[in-house]
Amino acid sequence: MAYAVFQIVSDNWLLLLVGQYPNGPLGGIAATLLLSLLGIGLAFPFSVLVALARLSSWRVLRWPATGLVYTMRGIPLLMIIFWVYFLVPLAIGQTVPGFVTMLCTLVIYEAVFLSEVVRAGIKALPKGQMDAARALGHSHLGAMRFVILPQALYNMLPSIVSQFVSTIQETTLGYVINVPELTFAANQINNQLLTRPFEVFFILAVIYFSVCWSLTQLANRLERRIAAKRAGGLAAMPKQMTARQAPAAIEPPAREASP
Amino acid sequence: MGGFDPVLILRDPEFRGLLVRGFEMTIIVAACSWLLAISWGITLLLIRLTSSRVAGAAVAAYVTYHRNVPTLVQLMLWYFGISSLLPSAVQDWLGDHNGEVIFAVISLGLCQAAYFSEDLRSGLRSIPHGQNDAAKALGHGYISAMRFILMPQAGRNALPALINHTVSLFKNSSLAMAIGVAELTYAAREIENQSFRTFETYLIATLLYLTSSLLLMALGAWLNRRAQPAGAH
Amino acid sequence: MIKFSHVNKFYGDYPALVDIDAEVKRGEVVVVCGPSGSGKSTLIRTVNRLEEIQSGELFFDGRNVHAKMSGTNLNRLRSHIGFVFQNFNLFPHLSVLDNITLSPIRINGVGRKDARDKAMALLERVGLTSKALAYPAQLSGGQQQRVAIARALAMEPPAMLFDEPTSALDPEMVGEVLTVMRSLANDGMTMMCVTHEMGFARDVADCVWFMDAGQIIETAEPAKFFRKPEHPRAQRFLSDLRGH
Repeated sequence: MAYAVFQIVSDNWLLLLVGQYPNGPLGGIAATLLLSLLGIGLAFPFSVLVALARLSSWRVLRWPATGLVYTMRGIPLLMIIFWVYFLVPLAIGQTVPGFVTMLCTLVIYEAVFLSEVVRAGIKALPKGQMDAARALGHSHLGAMRFVILPQALYNMLPSIVSQFVSTIQETTLGYVINVPELTFAANQINNQLLTRPFEVFFILAVIYFSVCWSLTQLANRLERRIAAKRAGGLAAMPKQMTARQAPAAIEPPAREASP
Repeated sequence: MGGFDPVLILRDPEFRGLLVRGFEMTIIVAACSWLLAISWGITLLLIRLTSSRVAGAAVAAYVTYHRNVPTLVQLMLWYFGISSLLPSAVQDWLGDHNGEVIFAVISLGLCQAAYFSEDLRSGLRSIPHGQNDAAKALGHGYISAMRFILMPQAGRNALPALINHTVSLFKNSSLAMAIGVAELTYAAREIENQSFRTFETYLIATLLYLTSSLLLMALGAWLNRRAQPAGAH
Repeated sequence: MIKFSHVNKFYGDYPALVDIDAEVKRGEVVVVCGPSGSGKSTLIRTVNRLEEIQSGELFFDGRNVHAKMSGTNLNRLRSHIGFVFQNFNLFPHLSVLDNITLSPIRINGVGRKDARDKAMALLERVGLTSKALAYPAQLSGGQQQRVAIARALAMEPPAMLFDEPTSALDPEMVGEVLTVMRSLANDGMTMMCVTHEMGFARDVADCVWFMDAGQIIETAEPAKFFRKPEHPRAQRFLSDLRGH
């Protein structure tokens, strides 16, 4: 079996890496990573907006944002993909390549899930930070921009990397709408070979595992570094705060069932 | 295309049948995988708690694998990969008896078991250390302490995460359509192909998923409230 | 400068502030003291509207703080009121210098160089010029509070509010903060301080307000208040304080 694995990889590594490029659209691992990076990158500014809307005191912002988050959390990603697959060509007026459809879906989906991470980061900061910023005369948005968000986003870096790992795993669903990413490539190989399905999917699993696991290790290392930095701040904090307020700043975002 | 008319889909007996059977299948797959996941997850935790270092490493590896390999790939590995390794008699039997459902349940169940065991483990770790000390001081042995003091608290602490992952499991049932399980998303696509009424069909399926998920979340919130002892926030 | 007129505040049914009528005149230093739960912190936080009031009026430098106003106007009003918190609330992601210059630059439109020069002058005043580029995490509690005072002063407010500025400090650091506050008072700053530091009150305050259960029960000059308080609750408070 090991020999079969080696053979399959050496025969098909190019397909797995870049799909049928340059004779076709970009595919394979390259497409997967590109899709994930673009997906989470483009989603990021929207996720901050959604998080701010959910924390807003204005109902006209808070309710739609909360509704959006609950909706996205209640529907399978596959269903959302089909919706986007159906609606985007309708909206634009022409057919759209699967890659773009998948990208749109990921941007919307990640905007919502990343917003939960951002929201947790904002809520984990001590209330005194916002108080101090407002007392100095900053507007709510000014306080967010200069004081709250810089801290929240830095603290949330490990969770953001974890969310990136999730995004990579979500790209696999592109297979269902024929997006030429890595899973699709593996299935192409399997359909050609037919005799070694286990080896093919084993390779597929190994590739995803390597990528995701390394990124998770990176996230863990980031978390240790950030926690160490925060602990340095703890030494100089007033003694009452050390017992009372600090835990809220150090704990990872609470796992909420109903945010 | 005609006007917007979701009722049409529901009134047509064939489409209604597809929808109902699809939704039933979703529930069957979700429920069976959940049962597998929770029982196997607790078992994994118990294995991990034994002092054997090999056991601990094995469970850790199991969890790491299932968290870093996408669920869809796991499904494919089971349905296309592992099934091909089985003796042909078994493969034939599976082919006749909804093998795809069985593999879907196994794959989703084993995957979620990893998450459940980690949730319970976190729940256990978040119990203040003083509880263990108090149990020992009172004379409880390991099993007694676990049974009466630690596990109940662990379960309570883990409840939000368990509920979250249960909802995830429910949504992941839709992935089974990629290996041919005729669950709700599959049914929606079928109906859409036949009726061309994409918007209404998707809307009905979406509403079914959404209400189910929200019901699960509400049930979870209720359980969470009930689990809190009097006076706790 | 600061005028309370029939101010009442409720948390639900609980009366946090009851019929507050008092005034801090320009250049005055007022110390607010009392047992915990008496409403001192709530009182001072109503001045820059970090707490709302349900009835009455509150004037700061002639402006009605709790009038219906736009967010922008409230922000502008707050920027004229200096506030020092018990927990300092320095911004940990900014250096000491940036902590001080952020708000003058972003809110008052002061140029970067001018803001820097002003900030260094203020740091000199609080005795921390060497720490300009340090981060809050690297400072002791007393140093952080002094930076917080400088940060508030950078906005050039006509009055400063102190909410238990030394309560969260280890005893050996209380002195350095009180020294700064004393020098501010000597320079004629209008100050309203919630504090337990009776030595400071005795030496620096022009007036002491004693609060209990949301009301200002007694107002007197410090000399008189500390020697012979009139109200029995004030007497009990002082004897408890001395008993330590």
